[in-house]
Amino acid sequence: MPRIAGVDIPENKKIRYSLRYIYGIGPQTADDIIAETGINPDTKAKDLSETEVGQIIACIEAGIQVEGTLRRQVQQNIQRLRDIRCYRGERHRKGLPVRGQRTRCNARTRKGRKKTVAGKKGVKG
Amino acid sequence: MSRSLKKGPFIDEKLYRKVETMAAGTKKTPIKTWARACTIPPEFVGFTFMVHNGKAFKEVFVTEDMVGHKLGEFSITRLFRGHTNKKEGIKS
Repeated sequence: MPRIAGVDIPENKKIRYSLRYIYGIGPQTADDIIAETGINPDTKAKDLSETEVGQIIACIEAGIQVEGTLRRQVQQNIQRLRDIRCYRGERHRKGLPVRGQRTRCNARTRKGRKKTVAGKKGVKG
Repeated sequence: MSRSLKKGPFIDEKLYRKVETMAAGTKKTPIKTWARACTIPPEFVGFTFMVHNGKAFKEVFVTEDMVGHKLGEFSITRLFRGHTNKKEGIKS
């Protein structure tokens, strides 16, 4: 099993697909890497030769932010918004949607599970 | 959708000129403004603005990180004091 970009061990799939298990690599970047290294996209991840794995690792290290560095980058961008106290930063702080979505209903991804308020209309108190 | 590159960022001209004249002098007083839609260019760094939020002027000190944002982003227009509590009445 090849190890690419730290802890990630994509398994019994064609590399074209197994590369996507790395944080920061989606369909587009996966195909870009394969095109650049010239590897047959249909080879299974376990069948890759040492040199091919080396090529992929070199390609990723050359210009793609993945895993830890990318996560840190995203976190830093959010932290910057918080620090300058702009509207988007405030929304991140309050855990509400950042891009102007409605919050009257829905918005559950940002707000988390429903918190039922006793005594409110429709709920027997 | 983002703004056309041809036009460049929207910068309130009057405000920009005001900053320029103030930069030429020595005194840096807060500038009262209603131009919430004005993008912050690098020249604004270090100045204090009083940005109108519809009711009052909120003081905004521009730092380097704020370049590229709009002045209105730093002067919130809504006041949320929390939800009401039936037993205790309105939370203040």
